[in-house]
Amino acid sequence: MIAKIICYALNGLEGVPVEVETDVNKGVPSYDMVGLPDTAVKESKERVRSALKNSGLLFPMNRITINFAPADIKKEGAGFDLAVAVSLLKASEQLVGVEMGDTVFLGELALNGDLRPIAGLLPILISAKGHGFNRFIIPAGNAKEARFLGGAEIYPAHTLVEVVRHLVGTHPIEPLAAVEFVPHAGAKTSADLKFVKGQPMARRALEIAVAGGHNLLMVGPPGTGKTMIARCLPTVMPDLSFNEALEITKIHSVAGVLGEEGIVSERPFRTPHHTATTVSMCGGGNKIVHPGEISLAHGGVLFLDELPEYKRSTLEALRQPLEDGKITVSRAGGTFTFPARFMLCASMNPCPCGNYGSSERTCSCTPAEIRRYKRKVSGPLLDRIDLQVEVDDVAYDDLASTEMQENSADVKERVDAARRIQRSRYEQYGINTNAEMGEREIVAFGGLSREGDEILRNAFERMHLSARARSRIIKVARTIADLDGSEQILPRHVFEAVSYRIFDKIG
Amino acid sequence: MSKYSAEERAILWLCACTKTEYRERTMLLRAAPSPVALFAEPERFFPKVCKERAKDAYHSKQERRQQEADAFLEKLERKGYFAVTLISDDYPEPLKHISLPPLVLFGAGKRELLAKRKFCIVGSRITPPWAEKLGRTISAELAGQFAIVTGLAEGGDLAAIEGAMSEGSLICVLPCGLDECYPAAHASLKEKVKGQGLLLSELLPWETAKKYSFHARNRILAGISEGVLILSAAQRSGALITANCALDFGRDVFALPHNVGTAHGEGCNELLKKGAFVTTGAEDILSAYGMKRREVKLPPLTPEEARVLGVLREGGELHTAVIAERAGLKVFEVSALLSALEIKGVAVKSGGNKYCAV
Repeated sequence: MIAKIICYALNGLEGVPVEVETDVNKGVPSYDMVGLPDTAVKESKERVRSALKNSGLLFPMNRITINFAPADIKKEGAGFDLAVAVSLLKASEQLVGVEMGDTVFLGELALNGDLRPIAGLLPILISAKGHGFNRFIIPAGNAKEARFLGGAEIYPAHTLVEVVRHLVGTHPIEPLAAVEFVPHAGAKTSADLKFVKGQPMARRALEIAVAGGHNLLMVGPPGTGKTMIARCLPTVMPDLSFNEALEITKIHSVAGVLGEEGIVSERPFRTPHHTATTVSMCGGGNKIVHPGEISLAHGGVLFLDELPEYKRSTLEALRQPLEDGKITVSRAGGTFTFPARFMLCASMNPCPCGNYGSSERTCSCTPAEIRRYKRKVSGPLLDRIDLQVEVDDVAYDDLASTEMQENSADVKERVDAARRIQRSRYEQYGINTNAEMGEREIVAFGGLSREGDEILRNAFERMHLSARARSRIIKVARTIADLDGSEQILPRHVFEAVSYRIFDKIG
Repeated sequence: MSKYSAEERAILWLCACTKTEYRERTMLLRAAPSPVALFAEPERFFPKVCKERAKDAYHSKQERRQQEADAFLEKLERKGYFAVTLISDDYPEPLKHISLPPLVLFGAGKRELLAKRKFCIVGSRITPPWAEKLGRTISAELAGQFAIVTGLAEGGDLAAIEGAMSEGSLICVLPCGLDECYPAAHASLKEKVKGQGLLLSELLPWETAKKYSFHARNRILAGISEGVLILSAAQRSGALITANCALDFGRDVFALPHNVGTAHGEGCNELLKKGAFVTTGAEDILSAYGMKRREVKLPPLTPEEARVLGVLREGGELHTAVIAERAGLKVFEVSALLSALEIKGVAVKSGGNKYCAV
């Protein structure tokens, strides 16, 4: 008898339906798997055999052929175990009379018959639902991430026996109840701007950066709280919408880094170490292509501490994703595109010893050393960082003005207001934030008064700004005007924007 | 090669085509009745001064020496360089009176600047931003009356160059040959100076900078100028060598006063203690030479800008947050005003979000 069971393989972030066909014939007992299974799939034979035996079921001593269709895509991982086991049971007539035409079986088997959770379940469910499948049997360990998928019958099972009992109808499993998405539900971070002492300039720069979707570079001596400020970035960013959360969860699920709560309810904050390789940043892998740090930071913040310490090639690889918001990784196993729209926040010391520009301590670096240090960060990368701000080396917490105790929620309100203005302005332009403005939008919305233009011209002469700084200053000035609730970009907005271009002067 | 007289050619041959040292060359020139005589009969004078090393020179035939000198001059010509010898008409007069005047100066750029009155502005490579800004302003104001003499390094030298560049009255003395560039990162700056000002070096064009050539270069900086302004100098700084040379040669020494205890200003304060002219602006230097300052108009300021500038003038170097506190404004408002002041050229950012007025 031939049994057909539906399962899913993962191709990047997309699920691809795979039919597991099992044929049990008379003959010398044998077990063959065809249809491009990789090692982990082939090994399922032993897991399935033990799981069946230990669940009190029968492993047929016949000539068994298992085919994975379509045969032309590679099948990887242990997620096919349950489908193989169920198809074996069906083909060996241990599940007579059970109709399961469009049920999708997902899960890895343990030797004792337990079901183990698999990576990338949510993207599979979303794809499968799109393909018209509505009934799923999944490992109970994946239940948390699956319950956000509304409009489908999802049965979480702990063991193979539970699955069989459910199928024959003796002990049906309760379908998962869909859960409403709540942003910050699984909030773990304790970061809040109210804990950042002093640093009025950096706080303001952070607010502007988030309001306009700009990238941010903080320059300051070591141990001045750059990392702490960066950690506050997600707390002032707009709340995640359900669709955004799903997209982020998909990526995290594929990478196998999904946390306890099953869905990412907060904007991610990724801090890869500076020894990170290009592949770990951008994504890659031998056969299965894993999303890299920049994709894991999708929708959130990628924080690069000590920017010049990163490998040059790794930093250069960020340039294209910063423009496109996605990364395409080509490997032997195929070409995959992962979303990578993140906010880049970087920090660096002003010089190798960290004391350049400090009044308290003397810098012991030679000008050549400082130049070499700064040259490690390439101009084209700096081009994509609109805001550059100096972080103070002393805490000015004796200056207890009200502005400094402001918490993240208050800042977020202003950010949200500025984002609303931008959304309505760019409705027809297909962009969301000022940072995404191209030449066309700058002409349309970044118009300066004659006075403002004069200021910029003077600034270029006086401060030796590079020519490409112009459009970035205009973008930032536009955001400052939005925060100010001003329709026009006024001179004071331009002036403030100019003050966030320290690198063009010292570089 | 009619451009150079026979005497000039003889000196150039001595400097470029013989393996002699500076000391030997001066002795040779003193021993011979004239450079031409030295060139005609080197065998008469060379053996007494330098024995083995310059053997090639005095054993060679006169035609050979002629050829060597021609080849060298042609090479100079091809590269667009010129040479000024101690006996040339436009050899800077003050330089003749220092103890070890360079026998030859190689130059590229505007030769006529040699005839101008010269003033030297130098500073340490690590010069605080306010001193750089002030140096730029002073350099720009002096450039009308003087040719500004300086090096080619970062910091103080760069400030002087930037100030005088637009006037085109700028002389940079290199610690290496004209072909070379030290620091290498300033190659494009060197080209710019060559185009708008004048590059000078006492070394042969292909010679590289040695440790001692900086010291030697500094004596030219001081020797060629009427006075020297030191923008910044630490306890041990090359700028102080220039100042000491200037004192030895009887030139005027000017220095910017620095805060007590700042490392990059200790040398300047030390000079002031010893009697250098306290300098806070171009007028201090101009009045010392009986010159008038050209009227500079302050850019118009808004009332708020004027208020912030007032706070800065009162408090010296201040952090943005402190300025905001004292001016009674929000921090981000103040940072906009400060960058307005910076663009208008009356304040300067000095790192770590601090500003000061200039």
